Amino acid sequence: MSPKSDSSVFMALARPWLFPFGVIGLYGLGIVFAPESTYRALHMSGSMFWQLALPVCLALIMMVVLNRFLSPAVVTLFLGRNAGLKGVFLSSLAGILSMGPVYAWYPLLKNLRDKGATEFHLANFIGNRSVKPVLLPVLIIYWGWYFTSLFVLVSLAGALIVACIVSLFCSNLQHSQ
Amino acid sequence: MKIAVPSTEPNLNGMVENKLGIAAHVLVIETDDMSFEVLNGSQRSSLPGAGVQTISLVMDMGVQVILVGFISPDIAKVLAEQGIEIVTQISGSVAKAVTNYMDSQSLNSKLKNDELPFRESTSKDQWIAAMKKGLRQFQSILPLLVGVILLLGLFQGFVSKQTLLSFFSGSAVLDSFWGACMGSVLTGNPVNSYVIGKNLLNIGVGLSGVTALMLTWVSVGLIQLPVESKALGIRFALVRNITGFIVAIIMSFVVVWFAGGSI
Repeated sequence: MSPKSDSSVFMALARPWLFPFGVIGLYGLGIVFAPESTYRALHMSGSMFWQLALPVCLALIMMVVLNRFLSPAVVTLFLGRNAGLKGVFLSSLAGILSMGPVYAWYPLLKNLRDKGATEFHLANFIGNRSVKPVLLPVLIIYWGWYFTSLFVLVSLAGALIVACIVSLFCSNLQHSQ
Repeated sequence: MKIAVPSTEPNLNGMVENKLGIAAHVLVIETDDMSFEVLNGSQRSSLPGAGVQTISLVMDMGVQVILVGFISPDIAKVLAEQGIEIVTQISGSVAKAVTNYMDSQSLNSKLKNDELPFRESTSKDQWIAAMKKGLRQFQSILPLLVGVILLLGLFQGFVSKQTLLSFFSGSAVLDSFWGACMGSVLTGNPVNSYVIGKNLLNIGVGLSGVTALMLTWVSVGLIQLPVESKALGIRFALVRNITGFIVAIIMSFVVVWFAGGSI
């Protein structure tokens, strides 16, 4: 391989890492000028990476299973344009049950979109992540039954409204044949 | 299967371009339903390396096959190592090129089956293929994910919660706005938002502001926006986050209205 094409391919592979290395550069500057805040930031990042480990593993396993068993036709049937109430229910339930930070789930959502899931269902999934069944007892203890019920209801309604608007503005974005 | 084809036009009726680097458009076609996305290719006046940039883009989109007139053998070798099949000497319309390729694939598969009647793709092979695809999909988003987490850490390390709290003035509308802003930039376990919200309420911040913070904590992510854009498209990410922000503010007023000051 010629050195020119060698370096071009290297650049193409390295380019996505420019952003993280840029942020690492900011940490470098931070250590020089504000070491205390930077160490706090490093600690924060470390704990976020740690929190991410389990959801990422879960999302990866689900992606492998989806790649193995789900064809675009099946995804379209359940989360496609004609999925109806079944699709709303499934995407809401999946969003409610998904755990960990949302960014752990983006690769899975991308996979589902590539297989035919609509923008409505993807947005509905993300919106419904506001409702966390395992955290409801904490919410009730802190805020009481009445506020908790209101909070859950407006979260579900809000997710649906956002999903409708996203669908309205983005529905012709993919599969634009 | 996703196939990338450089084209003279942004639709399937365009002619296949000879080189990726000079194509006005690159179509990424999903062969299951022949739907496609259009990437704006490099222009003819582009510098050397434009083809590599286009290849990098289509690799990120999970393309498995590239149909093109000509490609440098060195680049073809690198792509083959990445599991991407390159078919050269393609000409004619894009639709015809894809159809011909699919026909040749099914013929090859039939011949293979005729030669080896008992040889089928085993379950193990399918699991390995699914795993490789999953890892490739995850790998495409990994650099941005790492960068965003580091950025979030930096934000939380340098901007204290006290600084953010100083924005609240006591006005319901403004508190709601600042609550939604705060929820959009802060991340972490939602339990934190319940605790912070309760503390804010105790020091006099309005219920609408606190509710807006709790609603946007999970559903809106300003710093995560680049990762969401990378995975689901910039338009999707922008529309979803902006709408989520506005809806959270409106819903916070709904909560206050229903709560009627009882909390």
